[in-house]
Amino acid sequence: MKFIVSSTYLLKQLQVLGGVINSSNTLPILDNFLFELDHNKLTVSASDLETTMASTLDVESDSEGSVAIPARLLLDTLKTFPEQPLTFVVEDNNTIEISSNHGKYALAYADGNEFPKAVALEDPSKTIILGDVLATAISKTIFAAGNDDLRPVMSGVFFQFSTEGLTFVATDAHKLVKYTRADIQANQVAEFIMPKKPLNLLKGILAGSEDEVTIEYNDSNAKFTFENSELICRLIDGKYPNYEAVIPKENPNKLAIDRTQFLNSVRRVSIFSNKTTHQIRLKIAGAELNISAEDVDYSNKAEERLTCAYQGDDMQIGFNSRFLTEMLNNLGSDEVQLEMSMPNRAGILTPVDGLDEGERITMLVMPVMLNG
Amino acid sequence: MNKNRSIVHMDLDTFFVSCERLLDSRLIGKPVLIGGTSSRGVVASCSYEARKFGIHSAMPMRLAKSLCPEAVILRGNAGIYSNFSKDVTDVIKDSVPLYEKSSIDEFYIDLTGMDKFFGCHKLASELRQRIMKETGLPISFGLSINKTVSKIATGEAKPNNEIKIVSGTEKPFLAPLSVRKIPMVGEVTYKSLCDLGVKRIKTVQDMPMDLMHKVLGKNGLSIWKKANGIDLSPVVQYQERKSISTERTFNKDTTDVLKLKGIIIAMTENLAYQLRRGNKLTACITFKIRYSDFQTYTQQQRIPYSAMDHSIIPVVLDLYKKLYNRRLLVRLIGVKFSHLVEGGYQINLFEDNEKQLQLTQAIDTMRQRYGDRAVISAAGMGAKSISRWNPFNGEPPPLLPNRRR
Repeated sequence: MKFIVSSTYLLKQLQVLGGVINSSNTLPILDNFLFELDHNKLTVSASDLETTMASTLDVESDSEGSVAIPARLLLDTLKTFPEQPLTFVVEDNNTIEISSNHGKYALAYADGNEFPKAVALEDPSKTIILGDVLATAISKTIFAAGNDDLRPVMSGVFFQFSTEGLTFVATDAHKLVKYTRADIQANQVAEFIMPKKPLNLLKGILAGSEDEVTIEYNDSNAKFTFENSELICRLIDGKYPNYEAVIPKENPNKLAIDRTQFLNSVRRVSIFSNKTTHQIRLKIAGAELNISAEDVDYSNKAEERLTCAYQGDDMQIGFNSRFLTEMLNNLGSDEVQLEMSMPNRAGILTPVDGLDEGERITMLVMPVMLNG
Repeated sequence: MNKNRSIVHMDLDTFFVSCERLLDSRLIGKPVLIGGTSSRGVVASCSYEARKFGIHSAMPMRLAKSLCPEAVILRGNAGIYSNFSKDVTDVIKDSVPLYEKSSIDEFYIDLTGMDKFFGCHKLASELRQRIMKETGLPISFGLSINKTVSKIATGEAKPNNEIKIVSGTEKPFLAPLSVRKIPMVGEVTYKSLCDLGVKRIKTVQDMPMDLMHKVLGKNGLSIWKKANGIDLSPVVQYQERKSISTERTFNKDTTDVLKLKGIIIAMTENLAYQLRRGNKLTACITFKIRYSDFQTYTQQQRIPYSAMDHSIIPVVLDLYKKLYNRRLLVRLIGVKFSHLVEGGYQINLFEDNEKQLQLTQAIDTMRQRYGDRAVISAAGMGAKSISRWNPFNGEPPPLLPNRRR
């Protein structure tokens, strides 16, 4: 087995694939990249058993074979090369030899057959979506997903495909984001929960991409195919909570405010809030929004006043400032609207401007109970 | 830190007994015992006349009774004692710049720097006279350069006296005393020290620090420091509470699971209400159970920050179910909340419902207006005597005069 490939071209692909590999593996073979050569086509794969990603590269070769090469060692070596052709030759003594303009390097390899096979999707459904759109949907929602191992369904993003549009939902039970695209449709209704890790990879790879991504899915796995790569991952098993039921329908109190101004005030005031609970208090009366925080343990206190457009009754509501800053940060609009009903019901944050046709974002944040 | 501090430790002599004697002068000169009067009760306080019979506090009341059958036994009243304690606190507050109330009958006072103007010893003496004059309660004090030495000195001064340890003479003062006198050396530590042949503080002073560390771990180090008269801890006026707890010893051991459950719910409900009243949240719940053979088991569970009955009670009951697995009578149960932080409860999108939250708020309002026991859950109605005090006002926890073992 022998092939010649450009060093930077290979490095670029391997760095993307390297994101799949866990820093510590119980199965040593997973520390490797799988190289499968079929004449001029080289397919490189990486896996953590949950997620497997493969890319196909064009190389110069007339042989076949498959080997597993230590990922860390290979990446560290490739990073140091300036652009040049590299020749990979598999020797008989279980080593692979790389020849560059500078010299020769030999690494031990494992048999390619030891590498776990990616699952084949049986009877999949299919939806096509633009790369950048998918990346946006992920980045708008993933921050709201939880980290609780006890509630695995909430640690992922819920994909809801239907003939009317695509919906992406993430929640950790304290905040919730629902991102809808009415301009893209699926052929049939489908729902599945994607884990965070492959989504973060996809977000990185697909941001700004004008290519189409084919999403194939069944009950247990999903496969994303784009350009020369494919990513297959296991879905999170379980029933996603009925999030529609917890979105309050009637919200008579509507607050409209400049996003950056609101965000900066919340950030500043929250420095003075309790270091564990990050609790801040919003007091709204007339056209004035009063944001305050207090850390009784250290006698820290802050208060700011902002002008806003407000319709509704005067009210006081408490929030975890972390949630508010995360949400405001994630929105790109100039102005936001916060809809509320009662101090113990969710506040609904929506952007007023800056959305594409057919795009909708609804963010929910649960308040903290205030006393006094 | 200032090396020449002047710290006074003041301790009211046989506080509960002194209070009772103020209320009823017939008790003066008689052996008086205050504590739980049931068969499980322990002596919380006893007069010096009773001590002659070998009675000491924390002794089972039954044993005390047999040692001195003619003693007057009183059940005690925490409310009255708290008021007397408050009177004393007011006098101290009025006279000194910095004090710490470390328990119902003990105070630390920082008089550092006062020497220039008044003379620390003179000031402390005058304060002691003033307290005795204004409240009628006998009080003793020890004056030295730190809290530990002052506390030990007070113990030596008692009853109704004062003592000053001149700066630099701490070690010789401590040397002849029993290691038992060091605060934090309890029954168990004392035993292990005795096993080492250590009886006098002098022996500890002569021991290398490392040896104490090896034998008793971290505690060994602080015992060694205390034995050598080293204690840098400051006098702190306000003590932030790190946990709140309640426990209950039964008059008679029980296996009545309904009764147990009722008491657990009542205790948890009350503690959770205290949290909400103090605008606090807990993240760690501990349950404790003691069987009739005195074997005690505890288990704790981390939870997301909460102060809500509906999220905490199931956790406590769950811990109770896990711990109550021996087929034995139960002597004591207790609930503790720790990892406390200031703040309001973060409402959960899926697990909380509005009705429950509003109910809790309405109940709390009723309790604030009509008292702690105005509304309680039916399951906890049977449990009557659960202490109901505000744990977040900076005061030390009350010492129940009629507690049981």
